[in-house]
Amino acid sequence: MKWFLRSIGLALLSLFFINLSGCAPQTSGKTANITVWHWMTDREPAFQELSKRYAAKTGMKVNFELYAPSDAYTQKVRAAAQGGNLPDIFGVLGEKRDFSSFVKAGHILELTPYMEEEGSAWKNKFFPKALAVNEFIPENTYTVKPGIYGVPIDIMTIQMLYNKDLFKELGFNPQKPPATFGELLDIGKKIKEKNMQGLVSGWGEVWMIDCFANNYAFNIMGQDKVLATIKGEVPYTDPDWVKVFTLFKELQDSGFLANGLVTMVNKTAEQLFANDKAVFAFNGSWCVNVYKGMNPKLNYWAILPPQVSDKFPMSIWGGAGSSFMVNARSKNKEEAVKFLKWLTDADQQAFLSEATQNLPANKDSVGKIPHILAQFAKGMDFATHPSIWGISEFSPVIEAFDKGIQSIIIGEKTPEQVAQEVQKIKERELAKKR
Amino acid sequence: MKTTLYYKTKKIGINILIHLFLLSVAITCIFPLVWMVSSSLKTQETIFRDTSLIPKSFHFENYYLAWMEGGFGRNFLNSIFYTTSVVIGIIIVSSLAAYAFSRLRFPGSNLLFFMFMAAMMIPIPGSFVPLYVLLNKLHLRNTALGYILCMINVGLSTSIFLLKTFFDKMPKELEDAARIDGCSKLGIWWHVALPLAKPVLAVVVIFNALNVWNEYVLALIIFDSKPLMPLQVALTTFQGEFITRYPLLMAGLTITALPIILVYLLMQKYIVKGVTQGAVVG
Repeated sequence: MKWFLRSIGLALLSLFFINLSGCAPQTSGKTANITVWHWMTDREPAFQELSKRYAAKTGMKVNFELYAPSDAYTQKVRAAAQGGNLPDIFGVLGEKRDFSSFVKAGHILELTPYMEEEGSAWKNKFFPKALAVNEFIPENTYTVKPGIYGVPIDIMTIQMLYNKDLFKELGFNPQKPPATFGELLDIGKKIKEKNMQGLVSGWGEVWMIDCFANNYAFNIMGQDKVLATIKGEVPYTDPDWVKVFTLFKELQDSGFLANGLVTMVNKTAEQLFANDKAVFAFNGSWCVNVYKGMNPKLNYWAILPPQVSDKFPMSIWGGAGSSFMVNARSKNKEEAVKFLKWLTDADQQAFLSEATQNLPANKDSVGKIPHILAQFAKGMDFATHPSIWGISEFSPVIEAFDKGIQSIIIGEKTPEQVAQEVQKIKERELAKKR
Repeated sequence: MKTTLYYKTKKIGINILIHLFLLSVAITCIFPLVWMVSSSLKTQETIFRDTSLIPKSFHFENYYLAWMEGGFGRNFLNSIFYTTSVVIGIIIVSSLAAYAFSRLRFPGSNLLFFMFMAAMMIPIPGSFVPLYVLLNKLHLRNTALGYILCMINVGLSTSIFLLKTFFDKMPKELEDAARIDGCSKLGIWWHVALPLAKPVLAVVVIFNALNVWNEYVLALIIFDSKPLMPLQVALTTFQGEFITRYPLLMAGLTITALPIILVYLLMQKYIVKGVTQGAVVG
């Protein structure tokens, strides 16, 4: 036993000396001209390739440093901001409130002057709604100086997907997806008849319910009325809101919703859809990459959720997927901006899109990407997102709203009951605010 | 005769029940490990399609890919180095502190001990930012020493508590005998207290080794240099925001779990002792 312990001791001692060489601070950024911190594991090889291309073109080295998962990355960026160690380029994850606090603390460079140079050449490359996520409008509630503070490197939209093979099995034309909500309910009846599974989605992670409900709220009552509700000017007991809640009951009664949907996490939903076990899915554009990994032969297509009313256009959630910000205190900020301009050029964006199966933020790249991604990108014309509305709903109201819909689906409550309950919480929160 | 048969049957019945219960607990513990190894030998596609524990075709190349793509070589050595340094540091500091708290009477000793115990209540994520700022000011950020010191600090409270409880119950006569033989206070700690505390030390080693081996968030925050990162950080390279490369992740996890399983096997005897008869000393 003693010889064993001694040999372990010796091994550790030698390891100690090997590692002492690593004890000195290693500033990997020393040799690099620009340092970028990111959290996107799946994009790391593509970023490294782009870094090589940029070095070959300009002679400037860009050092992409990956820190995943995103929760830990967020902690690192916050700590680095406190310690004054932020890199030249980084991303801020979280809500717009977090983004605004970084801007107000002077960590993020305002990019409006660069965006508007040469007749807004850089600004015009992007989908306007992708840029909106990184923009603070005049008189914003965050009290941030109006302007653009981030560069979108890709975008995302959340849409409805259908399995073409299963659609055919149901007796429908796979080239003719449902165009109205009524058609969706008819398909639901057929799904029930054939004992198949209808719509799968991550509705256990309630924000996706919120997203789906908001799509239809915009279609039924329009953006102004939805925003007026958030402001407290329209009650949730309004007939239009009751109609939104009723849609979920109708979907459930028709058999359109898959079993166990209310507790389903998105990973399970993706697995079911990828393995041809569900006819429909409600998912974000990131799913293209996920499905490709799970089942490369999956035959599917993306559509906007079929509309209930033709009074207002259908809206879906979408906008910037990931964005980069420039450190306002960096000595290399000019070089960093130049690099971001190059990174968001059509060629680099097309390369990123093809390599990572994400949607490009540059609208000129859409013609150069796979069809299914281009279909998701088309949805940008109908995209909206809570982060660009300028106002946000109280968290307890959102919770009651989403949980209320879950209870409608499981038949625990009626749409009218849920509307009243949500309104009660809204009034309580408004009274607290006053 | 009837009574003997009744008691025998009852004993067998109870034994069957106990063994069934233990068997189900063992299966619950072992199943995730078996699933991990099985998944590490499948492809990304078959993980979601083929739910059997024995894959139709074995993809051993996942281990090679995980090792190469995750950069496990350097990270593996780092993790071994951090774990050993931290565990040794914790054992030295906590055993000395616990012995002092148990045997030395000085003003404020109880208050100091309770302050140590209070530190157990602070979750480590809550102290990330202050720790980062402190290490930055001490120029210890992005250094192995800074990380080791932080991790020693994390493990001290629990270890001191465990060892102090043990030393409190240790018969004073043993120390008196050592003192008569000419042992100093430090000598008693080294020659008497520590050898007797082997079972508790084994528990301290296991708990802390596991804690350091599995830690990655603090490492990710403190280190900027990839060559300093521990093994767990390398594992996160297979986990994307929306997509996870399960076969490589499972292969990486299997590689990562092996050393800690080895530590368990080596210390098994002491751990059982520490858990079952930690209080019986001398």
